Amino acid sequence: MATQPLCVCEHCDAVYRRRALARREIARCLRCGAELYRDQRYDLNAMLALTLAALIVFVIANVYPIVRIEVQGVASEATLWGAIMATWNSGVGVVAALAAATVFFFPLGQIALFLHVLPALRRGRVPVHFSDAMHALRLVQPWSMVEVFLLGALVSVVKLAGLAEVIPGIGLWAFGILTLLLTTLTGFDLRRLWEIADGARR
Amino acid sequence: MTEQDDISRDAELPEPELATPGRWSVSLVWLVPLVAALVGLVLVVRAYLQAGPSITITFDTAEGIEPGKTEVKYKDVVVGKVSSAELEANHEFVIVHVDLSKEAASLAVEDSRFWVVRPRVDMGGVSGLGTLLSGAYIGVDVGQSDKARTEFEGLEVPPAVTNDQQGKRFQLRSSDLGSLDIGSPVYYRRIPVGRVVGFDLNPDGRNVTIQVFVDHPYDRFVTNRSRFWNASGVDVSVSTGGVRVNTQSLATVLVGGVAFQSLPGDDPGEMADMDAAFPLFSDQNSALAPPDGDQLKLRMRFFQSVRGLAVGAPVDFQGIEIGTVSGIELEYDRDKKQFAALIDATVYPQRLGRAYRGLRDGVVDHDHGDEQPINADRQVFTDMVNQGLRAQMRTGNLISGQLYIALAFEAKAKPMMVAADDGQPLEVPTSLASFDQIQQQVADIVDRLDEIPFRDIGRDLSDTVRSARDLLRQIDGEVTPELRRLLEDVRATVNAANQSLAQPDAPLQQNLTETLDELDRAARSMRSLTDYLQRHPESLIRGKANDPDPTDNFPNE
Ligand SMILES: [Zn+2]
Repeated sequence: MATQPLCVCEHCDAVYRRRALARREIARCLRCGAELYRDQRYDLNAMLALTLAALIVFVIANVYPIVRIEVQGVASEATLWGAIMATWNSGVGVVAALAAATVFFFPLGQIALFLHVLPALRRGRVPVHFSDAMHALRLVQPWSMVEVFLLGALVSVVKLAGLAEVIPGIGLWAFGILTLLLTTLTGFDLRRLWEIADGARR
Repeated sequence: MTEQDDISRDAELPEPELATPGRWSVSLVWLVPLVAALVGLVLVVRAYLQAGPSITITFDTAEGIEPGKTEVKYKDVVVGKVSSAELEANHEFVIVHVDLSKEAASLAVEDSRFWVVRPRVDMGGVSGLGTLLSGAYIGVDVGQSDKARTEFEGLEVPPAVTNDQQGKRFQLRSSDLGSLDIGSPVYYRRIPVGRVVGFDLNPDGRNVTIQVFVDHPYDRFVTNRSRFWNASGVDVSVSTGGVRVNTQSLATVLVGGVAFQSLPGDDPGEMADMDAAFPLFSDQNSALAPPDGDQLKLRMRFFQSVRGLAVGAPVDFQGIEIGTVSGIELEYDRDKKQFAALIDATVYPQRLGRAYRGLRDGVVDHDHGDEQPINADRQVFTDMVNQGLRAQMRTGNLISGQLYIALAFEAKAKPMMVAADDGQPLEVPTSLASFDQIQQQVADIVDRLDEIPFRDIGRDLSDTVRSARDLLRQIDGEVTPELRRLLEDVRATVNAANQSLAQPDAPLQQNLTETLDELDRAARSMRSLTDYLQRHPESLIRGKANDPDPTDNFPNE
């Protein structure tokens, strides 16, 4: 009990001692009622929900065309994989492989790893290969660049709009939402998962 | 300050209040995947509801067909899209898979027809030029049937008549097709009103049936008194009437055609039914000739070569064609010890018109009041022979050497009695044609051949060819570079986009970190919003509650 960690209210700067929380409990500031910290299980819930949402949006983003271009009545629709294949066929294989990895495989890996880790932790168990999965997650996260692709696609859409009729597809909106969800996922503190796993082991 | 102080201070610090929120507030975050799943479900359901039937069409070639791009259009509305194209197992044709839209489901019926619309030069002129820019598409002619069907054989050429075109179809019977073809025009008073849509050889192989389609509203001019004739090409006929050059239009010179008109007279006749059959005459004159009436058989003996005389050669009386040669036989005359050509002819005395009716009435009235008409005809001709009617073989066409039979009175002819009535054909005596007549005919023919505007026809033709060539050059020279420039522009844009993303020092890349930071910050504030909402879901309705006064809740103050 010697070095009990302290906790400061983000709203009114009141200082509290940390207390151990029971399941689903929330620690609140006595002065302003703001939430100080909560039982981590609830964070797991939110992470799992957002991961599931990200998976659904990821499927939509990859199935539906990103953009439809019409020039003189000739229409052309592009999906993510159509764009990657076109890049591959135009001879810049490295770019195509890089795009496929950063926009498809790494985000999918990130989602898959979260889906592997989170449900077990939420039930208070440590999933198999937990540490491998966590290391992989740490390695994969910086390489998941859906937002870069989204910005590139937006730039192309704006530039092409003068030359041809450009209609944003469902895929483009889905990529927008996917960007938000993945950013939120990446924002989660992985250290907390380690802590929860430690707690579950004990 | 010492460590001891810290610990004692810590001990003085209050512990936070603990609360267990209601179970329902936790589930709020699950709304996010639920909404995403709902959106996905809506998209799937919509795709399912909008999907029409898939059909397959076979074509000889997939030229111009691109899976995922080529559309199916009906009346220029997109009703489907080619999803894939593959080679048939025997490599004979290609199978094109088409996904129709839901509204177009009624297109997939038994008698619908499909064809590829691409630039095409054919009988009707140049068509499908628009597809040079937009690419080929699949045209459809919707059938009337209500039986569904999913496998079709595509047409290689657009159908001459589509089901939604109004008009009537008629059958023409002819001994041969001539220069007609599918798409050849049908003229009424030199106005194109329809076209040839098909032809069949009759099962016995002796005749041809030609199907023509006459558009609404011209189809009402086809009556039971209508006569059709072949208006193909330049009709140069050299006959007893001289040389006639007859064409319907320049187009018919090139591609042939059929013309029709009602028989002269006041009675327009009744409108013909769909699929009514008509004979196809070889030319306008024979088509519009008055009805033939009764026929009379004549027989002539010529003691000279009949080379150039053919079955079907005309028999002419004073410039009027009254019949044709029906048979040519060789006979040996034992008495004169020489060969004779035995010529049988069928004549229609009614064609002699008013003059003949007078003669015939005389015969019937004075001699045999109750005479059979056939015998009256024979009697009139018998009388004419007695008065000096003779048959001559004359040259109709010097170039081809065609001959015809001319019936004429000869003043010097010896009276010759022939049997008045007999089961045999009426014998008409013959005489040799004089050289003068031949010479005169030669001069006539040469003169009239000069009148044929061959030069004009040739010039018109070369004008047409030249303007077609100009058009093609224009397409080649103006449209194609335009397209290429467009493609280059698009490629440049894509390159620029690639560069701005790929280069490490690109401004986009530099801004990216900042943007991501922004996003991160946005996400964080979103998170505190979510948290706030989790704690105060009622604030969605009531608004954010005012912070309570700190002094009220903090007794240690
Ligand atoms: Zn506070």
